[in-house]
Amino acid sequence: MLEFDGLHKSYGDDHVLDGVGFTVAAGSMFGFCGANGAGKTTTMRIAMGLVRPDAGEVRWQGRALDDDARRRIGYMPEERGLYPKMRVGEQLAYFARLHGLDAAAAGRAADEWTGRLGLGDRRRDAVEKLSLGNQQRVQLAAALVGRPEVLILDEPFSGLDPVGVDALAEALLEQVRAGVPVVFSSHQLDLVERLCDSVGILARGRMVASGPVPDLRQREAGRLLRVVVPDAPPGWAGGLPGVRVVAQQGGDTLLELDADADDQQVLAAGLRTGPVTHFARREPSLVELFREAVADEGAQVAA
Amino acid sequence: MTTAMTSGRAPRTPGSAALVRLVAAREAGTRLRDRNFLISSAFILLLLVGVLVFQIVLNSGSDQTRIGVPTDDVRVAAALEVQSRALGIDLVVERYADEEAARAALAEGAVEGVLVGGRGREPALLVESGATPSLLTVAQGAVASIVVGDQLAAAGVQPQPVPDVVVRALDPQVDAGDERLVVALIGTALLYGLLVLFGQFIAQGVVEEKSSRVVELLLVTMRPWQLLAGKIIGLGALGLGQILVVAVLGVAGALVFDLVDVPGDLVGTVVAVVLWFVLGYAFYAAVFAVAGSLVSRQEDLGSVLTPTTLLLVAAFIVAFQAAADPAGAMATVTSFTPGLSPLVMPVRSAAGQAAGWEVALSVAIMLVAIAAVVRVGGRIYAGALLRTSGRTRLREALRAERA
Ligand SMILES: Nc1ncnc2c1ncn2[C@@H]1O[C@H](COP(=O)(O)OP(=O)(O)O)[C@@H](O)[C@H]1O
Ligand SMILES: [Mg+2]
Repeated sequence: MLEFDGLHKSYGDDHVLDGVGFTVAAGSMFGFCGANGAGKTTTMRIAMGLVRPDAGEVRWQGRALDDDARRRIGYMPEERGLYPKMRVGEQLAYFARLHGLDAAAAGRAADEWTGRLGLGDRRRDAVEKLSLGNQQRVQLAAALVGRPEVLILDEPFSGLDPVGVDALAEALLEQVRAGVPVVFSSHQLDLVERLCDSVGILARGRMVASGPVPDLRQREAGRLLRVVVPDAPPGWAGGLPGVRVVAQQGGDTLLELDADADDQQVLAAGLRTGPVTHFARREPSLVELFREAVADEGAQVAA
Repeated sequence: MTTAMTSGRAPRTPGSAALVRLVAAREAGTRLRDRNFLISSAFILLLLVGVLVFQIVLNSGSDQTRIGVPTDDVRVAAALEVQSRALGIDLVVERYADEEAARAALAEGAVEGVLVGGRGREPALLVESGATPSLLTVAQGAVASIVVGDQLAAAGVQPQPVPDVVVRALDPQVDAGDERLVVALIGTALLYGLLVLFGQFIAQGVVEEKSSRVVELLLVTMRPWQLLAGKIIGLGALGLGQILVVAVLGVAGALVFDLVDVPGDLVGTVVAVVLWFVLGYAFYAAVFAVAGSLVSRQEDLGSVLTPTTLLLVAAFIVAFQAAADPAGAMATVTSFTPGLSPLVMPVRSAAGQAAGWEVALSVAIMLVAIAAVVRVGGRIYAGALLRTSGRTRLREALRAERA
């Protein structure tokens, strides 16, 4: 289990991280979401020993990460970085050796990953000669080539085309199946929702929600109600007590109900306008969860 | 827990030495395939060969003098040979059947001069256009010795053979010292060139890692000092290899073509230059690396390297001054100044002006300076490496070390 525990970090008066903590189970994928500047990169760089936290620690299998343990982590920095003039194969072998593989194993690992990521015929090319998409693949290979026990990837999907996204997703799922915990940050919430077992939502340096996606849904579930009333006029549900209209398109209406609001009253109001063709509680999407969490946080900060 | 699809032994934790070795091997390997490096190496070797050839031509061309004698009278030829030996001139006496044949040889350039009428009242030295001083001196001396011998014989005096004068040198260092000084200056120039070259390589390498952001990936697996040490050692091995090749070729060439009088002195001076290269390189490599770490783009490198480059240029100029006045205050002080001493001290000691304890003291001061530069510089380097935007100030870097 990979544990981020109570991380605090300030730059001057700027409290960038304020008690960030979450856990990632072995063999699970954790999506780390948050707006720009929320502190995702800082959190990951603390894990990698590139930034020293003011308080808190990151543990792997119960022990605080040290230099040796970090060598078992595959890392993809937000600002991609490779030696531009070094050949793809040699470069990957070099990183594998820095992660502790011997020369022969490093060469094999470099061959293996270039082959699997479709770079087989580019092994002898300098990295700078590759397209950006292929450079990104080399970057991923650099994270994987040292046979990591843990993967920490900062915005790995940014800049990839849909084919690249699928290839990367497949590679990560494969790692997860092999028991490797994977943490990645992303803006693409649909992707996070599709791939991740757990998510963490960070806003202004605080974790506003974290846990398995179904749990989070559960917590928010029941609050959203979708009613399709084709003949209803706009604002038909506006006056009902404890009910807020989230969206209405034609008769397709999304309502948010307070805990004590009566959904049968909503149904009755719908029926008064004509036929009701759809009436159901709806699980929130991750986007909605995210908006919700960030909005709550904003309200707290404003308060 | 390792991944299922990559088979084989689990990765092992590489120690500091292993990491430093990996970095060093990458640095050296990269440079060995770098065109700029290969061109500069070839240039240095060509320069060395040029110096050797120049010396050989100078040596062989100037010394030998050929003179023609148009008679089979052995006395003139013998007198010329005696004179040339006494004067230390490498003279070849060619005998011709008559004056006509000797003149023809002169016209062909087979001899530089022809001595006619050596025994008579009106001796003449025939030359193409002008006589070299050595030629004239030999001819004059030979004629004089014959005439004086004849007159003494006529007066009934039996000339005793004149005893050879034994040469006793009061200060045998002076002449050999000149030669050592030349070697030391050539060595210093080479040292200067290599320090500038490898300093640039180091600084460029550091900036490349910053500007390409690969440094973040590297620092996940190693400490800044390990990266720094690997760079310095890897490139240093190349630099040392280069100076050793030049030293061995130079010494071998000088010995084979007999360019030096005292081979022992030559070897001593060359060894000193090589050792000073190691010290100077360690010092300047660290300084150049730290300077490079302060910027994020190759374009900005010039501004941060200028102070260090100027220090090197100053050292080079002072070293030449020291050759002219090796006992002066300037040479003495700078031969102890860290950063200057690697270029100045070899010159001073080649001039025979530095006692053993002085050299030892200078080396010790330099070692302390290297330790200080590596320590403080290592902290600056560590603090500045991850600041990949713009230029980092020294104080910021010192404060920011792994913040
Ligand atoms: N070295 C630094 N010095 C000062 N502020 C920093 C530094 N690194 C990050 N920050 C600030 O920390 C905040 C969080 O940044 P970051 O972790 O990159 O967020 P994210 O990755 O979620 O976009 C930002 O406001 C950023 O300006
Ligand atoms: Mg970020």
